[in-house]
Amino acid sequence: MVKGLRSIVILLIIAGLFNLFLTPGRTIISFWIFTVSDVGLKNAVLMTSRMVLLIIGTSVMTLTTTPNQLTDGMEKSLGFMKKFNVPVHEISMMMSIALRFIPILIEETDKIMKAQMARGADFESGGLIKKAKNMVPLLVPLFVSAFRRANDLSFAMEARCYNGGEGRTKMRPLQYSSLDQRAYICIAIYLIVFYSAKVIL
Amino acid sequence: MSIIKSKNLVHEYIRRDEEGNVESIQVALDHVNLNVEPGQFISILGHNGSGKSTFAKHINALLTPSEGTLYVDGMNTSDDEFTFAVRQTAGMVFQNPDNQIIASVVDEDVAFGPENIGVPTEEIVKRVDKSLKMVGMQKYKSHSPNKLSGGQKQRVAIAGVMAMEPKCIILDEPTAMLDPDGRKDVLQAVHTLNKEKGITVILITHYMEEVVDSDYVFVMEKGKVFMEGTPREIFKDVELLKEHSLDVPQVTLLAHELRKSGLPLPECILTREELVENILKLEKTQAASHTVSRAAGDKASEKASNNELILDHVSYKYSPGTAYEVTALDDVSLSIKEGEFIGVIGHTGSGKSTLVQHLNGLIKATEGHIYYRGQDIYDKDYDIKELRTQVGMVFQYPEHQLFETTVFKDVQFGPKNQGLDEKEQIKRAYEALGLVGLPEEFYLASPFELSGGQKRRAAIAGVIAMKPNVIILDEPTAGLDPKGRDDILGMIAEMHKKRGDTVILVSHSMEDVANYVDRIIVMDAGKPAFDGAPKEVFAHYKELEKMGLAAPQVTYVMNDLKAAGLDVRTDATTVDEAKEEILCYVK
Repeated sequence: MVKGLRSIVILLIIAGLFNLFLTPGRTIISFWIFTVSDVGLKNAVLMTSRMVLLIIGTSVMTLTTTPNQLTDGMEKSLGFMKKFNVPVHEISMMMSIALRFIPILIEETDKIMKAQMARGADFESGGLIKKAKNMVPLLVPLFVSAFRRANDLSFAMEARCYNGGEGRTKMRPLQYSSLDQRAYICIAIYLIVFYSAKVIL
Repeated sequence: MSIIKSKNLVHEYIRRDEEGNVESIQVALDHVNLNVEPGQFISILGHNGSGKSTFAKHINALLTPSEGTLYVDGMNTSDDEFTFAVRQTAGMVFQNPDNQIIASVVDEDVAFGPENIGVPTEEIVKRVDKSLKMVGMQKYKSHSPNKLSGGQKQRVAIAGVMAMEPKCIILDEPTAMLDPDGRKDVLQAVHTLNKEKGITVILITHYMEEVVDSDYVFVMEKGKVFMEGTPREIFKDVELLKEHSLDVPQVTLLAHELRKSGLPLPECILTREELVENILKLEKTQAASHTVSRAAGDKASEKASNNELILDHVSYKYSPGTAYEVTALDDVSLSIKEGEFIGVIGHTGSGKSTLVQHLNGLIKATEGHIYYRGQDIYDKDYDIKELRTQVGMVFQYPEHQLFETTVFKDVQFGPKNQGLDEKEQIKRAYEALGLVGLPEEFYLASPFELSGGQKRRAAIAGVIAMKPNVIILDEPTAGLDPKGRDDILGMIAEMHKKRGDTVILVSHSMEDVANYVDRIIVMDAGKPAFDGAPKEVFAHYKELEKMGLAAPQVTYVMNDLKAAGLDVRTDATTVDEAKEEILCYVK
């Protein structure tokens, strides 16, 4: 099994067991100090499958879709809002840049933290207020660096003729294809089955 | 017709106060006249603040002249109508590789430029492929830029510009933040573009070695072009360059020194081959008569001092047990003596930064033990905070850790965390600032108002103020110009002399280190590959090269001379030593 999944599996097992044994209801089986109720069984199955779906869903999305595709999709699907003067292109551009810089800023945070720790800074002990105060030596340099990066990036974007969304073309334009059609059909079927199951059960 | 033509170009940065009144005017460019022909490889030299970057931004119409005019391919950059055409004609690559990549996938980033200028989809795909091939990055097409090295990122940035099919490409200190390997790759890519595609290249740099191959050089200072000519013409005047604190390639400097000592060498030698050839042409003197004075040079460095730090079979793995496991340190055993001045050298990813971060407990080894003054720092009751005040660490780009309102307060931060009283804090801050040589008028200024070199001094003072017994400096010269570099290294050496402490200098530049340290530890693949005095280590220059490191240029010259049959000692590591050695043999 992939090592990264271990903690998730543990979480799933705990959530499942808690629901299974600790939900009151009509007893199905009981042994020693444990009792399994009908509601408990249903909850346990529902809860774990929900979590599994949640994890699979997000993993499949992040593994198949680049941040740029994601924001492209957002830009297109929210494109109608341009009519109401919502800067859809700008917002999606900001999102994709934010996604690009998250790992860089995390790395930077780590670096500054170490540097301040080498000067005896303490980020762990103390109460809430003291902790917040201790964050100043971390946050100030981080903000300064983020602004510097933003400044550099804006120059770099302008230098490459960026001028907003007008007149832009795309290397991979989003095109409606039979695959999308199938995806829509799948989602529709899923929703119908889901709701009918809910009504029937 | 020239592709870039500037006529009396002036640019002023105007600072205004809150009411919009002019507070101060800083003239960044002062009547610059400059002409570039299509297909040329041009270099612009100068130190930080000389106006070279400001000029670069003008060629790209990111800035417009305050006075005078600038034509790019016949278009006036002040004319708004041409802004985008100018930017398309003259593409620009910036210094920081991270801050100019927009997309999260390499090919999407390269496509960003063509997308902006409305190139049709099929054409974009073709251009992206072509540009990535030009810089040799097609293998990384669908990689995330975060996983690339600095040199690779810069090549992606160059591809991003090339995809716009410019006639001219401007590179603003593209190699300042790279290691020697990355630097070589980027320069090679640029030279290929120039030779094979006929792209006009304008390379802005402060590394003299990078200038040697260009067609024409402009040297800028205080917003003016103060020298121009072919590299040969520029380097002829070594004295003038030194006067303006510009660096000269070691080979040229050595040739110049030899000439000054009376050797009839031709003026201005640029490459190693030239120098060796010319020295060999000279008459050999009575060879064996000079062997006497040699042994004296090696002063025994065997000072009977105590071990300050001992590493005992230390290993470190990043994310152990996962698919991303990386062994950064592999069974390292070392001892560091009190008062030593050590250089730790290695290319990016060799484990040198990881190694030094172990020494003050910022990283805990996955295996092995570390002893500071005889005590195991991994002992349960060992005070790791106390260790951090004993073993001071100055990180790469330390100025990024400045945060206080004044320089003085920032330097006080360390002593304050040590729990010292106010009086002692102030005393220490004064001492530290004095040691790093920061002028007193800056003590109460905001650290963000200082220049690059001064910021670095202030940040180093912040560590010195804790009075550590060991000071570790991780790439203290990264991103500085030659003058700043020499100043900082000189200051560190001076401080070492005054305080007698143990100094560990991490670097990837052999030439920097060779001049100052007593001992070099070369890291490769998480292990110390060589450990000894600079002369001993550089004797392995061939192995060093395989590790992506280079010995100082003079070491190569001496080895070339030896290979050509001149019986010189090959262990010279500085220009002065090489000069003495050569003078023994030829006259």
